Amino acid sequence: MIILTPIKKTQYPIIAQCISPDVFQEKTLEQINNLPIWIGNKRRILSDLFKIEKTTENSPSIIINGDVSQVRRIGWGMTQGEIVVNGNAGMHLGKKMSGGKIVVNGNAEGWAGSEMKGGLLEIKGDAGDYLGSPYRGSTIGMRKGKIVVHGNVGSDAAVHMKSGLIKIHGNSGPFMGFRMTGGVIHIQKDAGTRLGACMTGGKIVVSGVLEDMLPTFAIEFIKGKVKIELGDKAIGPFFVFLGDLAENGRGKLFISKEKNPQLSQYERFL
Amino acid sequence: MSKINSVTCPVCGCLCDDIELTIADGIVAQVKNGCAMCEAKFFSHSNEHRLKTPLIRKDGKLVPTTYTVAVRKSAEILAKANYPILYGWSSTDSEAQRVGVELAEEVGGVLDNTAVVCHGPSILSVQEVGIPTCTLGQIRHRADLLIYWGCNPWSAHPRHLERYTAFTDGRFENSEWMSYLNKVKAAAGRKKIKSLERKGILKHRREREIPTVSDNKPTEILDKKGRKLIVVDVRKSMTAEIADYFLQVKPGKDYELIQGIRALVRDQELDVEEVAGVPVEYLQQLVDAMISCDFGVIFFGMGLTQSPSKFRNIDVAISLIRDLNMRTKFAIMPMRGHFNVTGANTVFTWQSGYPYAVDFSLGYPRYNPGETTVVDVLLRQESDAGLVIASDPVSNFPRKAVEHLVKNPLIVIDPHMNATSLVGDIIIPSSIVGVEKEGTAYRMDHVPLPLKKVVDPPKGVLSDEEILNRILKEVRKIKSNRLEAA
Ligand code: SF4
Repeated sequence: MIILTPIKKTQYPIIAQCISPDVFQEKTLEQINNLPIWIGNKRRILSDLFKIEKTTENSPSIIINGDVSQVRRIGWGMTQGEIVVNGNAGMHLGKKMSGGKIVVNGNAEGWAGSEMKGGLLEIKGDAGDYLGSPYRGSTIGMRKGKIVVHGNVGSDAAVHMKSGLIKIHGNSGPFMGFRMTGGVIHIQKDAGTRLGACMTGGKIVVSGVLEDMLPTFAIEFIKGKVKIELGDKAIGPFFVFLGDLAENGRGKLFISKEKNPQLSQYERFL
Repeated sequence: MSKINSVTCPVCGCLCDDIELTIADGIVAQVKNGCAMCEAKFFSHSNEHRLKTPLIRKDGKLVPTTYTVAVRKSAEILAKANYPILYGWSSTDSEAQRVGVELAEEVGGVLDNTAVVCHGPSILSVQEVGIPTCTLGQIRHRADLLIYWGCNPWSAHPRHLERYTAFTDGRFENSEWMSYLNKVKAAAGRKKIKSLERKGILKHRREREIPTVSDNKPTEILDKKGRKLIVVDVRKSMTAEIADYFLQVKPGKDYELIQGIRALVRDQELDVEEVAGVPVEYLQQLVDAMISCDFGVIFFGMGLTQSPSKFRNIDVAISLIRDLNMRTKFAIMPMRGHFNVTGANTVFTWQSGYPYAVDFSLGYPRYNPGETTVVDVLLRQESDAGLVIASDPVSNFPRKAVEHLVKNPLIVIDPHMNATSLVGDIIIPSSIVGVEKEGTAYRMDHVPLPLKKVVDPPKGVLSDEEILNRILKEVRKIKSNRLEAA
């Protein structure tokens, strides 16, 4: 097990995609100290930024004790092991990860779990924008895996999502699930505007208030409860909407009936 | 006195190339064919307030210096910086932009152009869904349905209507000039009556409200022969006054409106009665007009790109064009503001692969708007030096971003003094591109046009390209010295 403690603060962005169990595995402390990172436009080594300790315990896990909100690309493409961040984490956390587990005991910046292919990403605080969304111009979003956010989520989360699960205990920003084609999203509190815009598949469950309903969704029926994952059900009743009609989509929105009396006007179409 | 014909106007994205200039005693004496903005620009070169020597900040005051010192100091700042930003580029020629990319790569900085605060969102969505577009020439000759969405060309691109769209005589479509002239006269008359009423000369009549869609059915435009002009906006702009049909959308609801139209184009039923304040019945008529045209175009401006939903608005607008192209011929085009912002995007793309927000800090170009855009870099207070060229971020960036920009060493290259140069540390005056220097600029439809040199620059004043080349040379010298020392 490796323990990293930040020793320096800098104003420049730091790119450190070497912080991953796959890279650290079977490396000596000396080798880990000398892994390359970028601070601004200058090339540096990992020990310039962190105090690095190795415990005798032989497990592929990394613990970061301190605020690393300037450090980008932690856990880039990891396939196994565990990273625990005791503080806030920077952009692109767990980007392209396909296995293992990341836990953040704090907030995460934008693009956390972007293009995720597997594994578990748990954020105890808030997540920034573009949670689980792909790189600009790419149409391949989250393909597998699970993201759990205990706080709120910014805008444009789960764009182009194909499969997998995102659970949000707090509120979500606008454009959640834009152009999603599959997978499940559960928002336990309130959802922002333009939820599920251009979606063609998958389901989004909102247990709280929906800020605004897009005109291109049509009501289908009312359902008592809905399955989120094995052993987890959301209790309704829910209005079930189908859309996005602008894309001839068959995505489903489950919106809590109790919390959204403004949608009762749709009931006449049932 | 001499006359120069076919001069390209270096002001807005229309790049009108039919300007006629009269030169007397080495200064522009008369401008023909241009609009008011064009005239102001051509006359500005002889402005007495023009800066002619570089300035450098000493003990808090700007004092005159030489080009050699200014260039050397700028190079030192940039070569030393850990995360410099190089911003502006939209009001200079593509030749200077090319050198700019080289300089940004050399100093490992963040290179960004003014698209970041105007049509950057359009670029993002083009990368996601593509763009079915065409040249302005094609529109001039063939388009019979013109839609201006969230833009006001009458004020921002004054000759757009007259040169490329509704007011121009094309090969297959005629100018609607006469009918518009009547509308303009009527609008002017209405204004006059209002002012007379205000002064109490005329008795107050029934208060005339701005006709919104709800009292202005779009039926007539379906029957009208010839070119049709539709304006979609949140308020009745000058362009809307002369349009055949004005669709008033609730502020911030463009996204819903476009999605509603898309669903109707796809023959879907909507479960609602109105979308963004427009009855679905009217939308259906609009959709009929769109589908029944031979060649339609949507021009969009900041009303779409900088209102809530930003690039998702453009995303669905382009998707709408894609849907319409299954039924008829349609195209879409952003109304670019600065005369060579399209050029900045084009040059950056063929040099680095990305149109704006290019980060060279890792030695190779990287692009992720939100992360590498200059405004975000400044808001997160990450940069430690700045070079601003042909732009004025101090007057249009968020205050917090400006504060950070000013806190660090700031180099400004611009022909005129502006708000940014007043707070800069090194001010380098340059010649005016398209007036005192020839070059290349890209029109809003990506057609490159030559800019002419019509008068000489003030004695000793260098061009943007030359200044950047000198800084680049100096930076390379500093870097090789550093390597040798190491
Ligand atoms: S419309 Fe634009 S390019 Fe044309 S003359 Fe006016 S300012 Fe110049």
